[in-house]
Amino acid sequence: MPFGGIDIGSTMTKVVIADEKEQILASHIGPTGAEHRHLALAVMDETLSQAGLSIDQLRFIVATGYGRINVPFADKQITEITCHARGIRALFPSAKIIIDIGGQDSKGIKLDADGKVANFVMNDKCAAGTGRFLEVIAETLGINLVDMGDIASRADGFVQISSMCTVFAEHEVTSRLAEGADVAQIVAGLHEAIASRVVNMTRHLGIEKDVVVTGGGAKNKGLIKAIAGKVGFDVLTPPEPFITGALGAALVGKDFYDRGVRPAKERKKEDVTFFT
Amino acid sequence: MESTQQAKTTAVKGTDTAREVRALVKNIYKSAHEAKANGKKVAYFMVASQYDEVIRAMDVIPLPTENYAGLCAAKRDMDRFLLKAEADGYSQVLCSYARIGLGFDSLRKELGRIPDNSPDGGMPAPDMMLGSSAVCDPRFKWYQAASRYLDVPTFGMDVVAPPPQDDLNEVRDYYIQYQRDQVQGLIDFLEAQTGKKLDKERLWECIRLGDKAWQLWYDIDRLRVAVPSPMPSQDHFSIMVAGHYYAGTQIAVDFYQKLYDEVKYKVDHKIGVIPDEKYRILYGGGLPPWHTLWIFNYFESFGAVFVIENVYRGFDPVEVPSHVKDPVDYLAWRAFLRYTAYHEKARARSGNPTVEKLLGMIEDYQIDGVVFHACRSCRATTIGQTHIKSELGKYCDLPMMQLVSDMVDLRDYSEAQWKAQIGAFIEALQARSGRR
Repeated sequence: MPFGGIDIGSTMTKVVIADEKEQILASHIGPTGAEHRHLALAVMDETLSQAGLSIDQLRFIVATGYGRINVPFADKQITEITCHARGIRALFPSAKIIIDIGGQDSKGIKLDADGKVANFVMNDKCAAGTGRFLEVIAETLGINLVDMGDIASRADGFVQISSMCTVFAEHEVTSRLAEGADVAQIVAGLHEAIASRVVNMTRHLGIEKDVVVTGGGAKNKGLIKAIAGKVGFDVLTPPEPFITGALGAALVGKDFYDRGVRPAKERKKEDVTFFT
Repeated sequence: MESTQQAKTTAVKGTDTAREVRALVKNIYKSAHEAKANGKKVAYFMVASQYDEVIRAMDVIPLPTENYAGLCAAKRDMDRFLLKAEADGYSQVLCSYARIGLGFDSLRKELGRIPDNSPDGGMPAPDMMLGSSAVCDPRFKWYQAASRYLDVPTFGMDVVAPPPQDDLNEVRDYYIQYQRDQVQGLIDFLEAQTGKKLDKERLWECIRLGDKAWQLWYDIDRLRVAVPSPMPSQDHFSIMVAGHYYAGTQIAVDFYQKLYDEVKYKVDHKIGVIPDEKYRILYGGGLPPWHTLWIFNYFESFGAVFVIENVYRGFDPVEVPSHVKDPVDYLAWRAFLRYTAYHEKARARSGNPTVEKLLGMIEDYQIDGVVFHACRSCRATTIGQTHIKSELGKYCDLPMMQLVSDMVDLRDYSEAQWKAQIGAFIEALQARSGRR
């Protein structure tokens, strides 16, 4: 019995199809960006094609992420906090704390003994502590975002970046470059700054093992190392951190189905509408 | 480009009596204009300053500048005042109430008249300004800064309270004497400004009315322990007008008596704010988001009702010893007892009076979750809030959420982020109750 989850984040749209044993049958990631928003349906179609399924064969579809509100082919909308918790619970049953570093925001989630959301915190209304922060600075440094982790790992120290306002940090980085600072140390300093921000935020929940870092930030080795340094022990990362929200969405759909909940309305294979 | 219609800001009220508050608010500014026209003295003032009854007893008409800022926000007409204050050099991190007030004063001076279409007719220029250190420092410094625009005398009254670790028996007399001197200083100032002596019998009468109103207000909140909730927090944010802006008057007593009767009726007949109350929420602290009060109705759409709150009714009734026969002494004693009411409990457990107060509310009101509002420009209610939330988490296991914006500055508010957080909070409540 397949279940579908679609996570429409600020930068990426992710779809996962999972079975009743909570195994991933297929997954696909596409861009969300303003001009690509209609691609949400295309991402779903691509994933269905990989799994050799049609949308009608999905027993339940849950949409999550900022774009979840109006997905015509979803049976229910659930926030990404609940979905991340469910996805991580399936991958790491021992998880107590989740740190999700997305493109637009970051979150700390505390799980209770049953693996359900006990409490959560979200970052403030600014780019600090998010993927966007690194994206902006990567551009300033003229390096690829995906290379930042490797570059940081070559540093034998770090340059302290004290400004957490993205604009000010950009100025600060420019100044440090002008002073001749090492790029690797600057990148390591940026990771330290973000790690500091998200770990401090998550401390409000009480940090305990196991901590799982997910979202795009979990792909960055330098950031993971910095986070581990702040919490004082190694943290876990999913094999594919981008899709834990979508996986969780599919599994939340499975939970609904197991409790006897059935799709309430006919699914419409239409584009996702963001502006109503 | 065609501009969009002004967004809805106000909340649907739960009680009929709360709907009458709008008239009380309008009357504040109308009375001030009338008083000016009739040669009476009008004073800018700060609520909850422990001096409220003195102003009434001296027949000075109080003009609450903080309330005016909230009113401007509720009308979504605050930007012109905020921007004016900022253009005059006041930082965006300064209290947004103060920025609205200073911006209003600046514009009024520049124009030589009240700015056009000001909410509720605007504030007339006062004859004096009465600052206070109770609650926060801007309330003390604001009127000193406003002297830039207003050539009127200013009095700042210090309001003090000991830390919870102090031995109250040791420090009590010193605090009370100091507070008494401060109130007497205000009286001396008002006597000089009005040219008349304080009538102590009249002050006693105002104190009696003030205490009676606050006792009724307390009694109303005790009724609110009922399930389903008879009165939500959005009503509280309105009905506080009587207790704070009409303190020491019969108007406040009559208003709360009427509200008490209505809430009692709802409790007796099990009439809730919403038909299907699923979750009972504590508003843990922070000034309300005046720009977006409808958000409380948004919570209700998920079955979550804010049943009680830790703001505005800052004090429970206290019993001043019967040997206190002078009304000025009484005010000093009352202030001391109000501020130290939770000290003993704090010393016995968490060390924090606010945490103790919240824990009491969680138990009494059968709370399912706690929401705080961190206001960027209100240091007084925001500093320490994260700590209080963390401390609270040591003694209770409830979902808690901190929403961030400002009490009046819309630039610090993001509806998308709030709705995302609220959705997750509701899901956490649902997960706990197995209702998802």
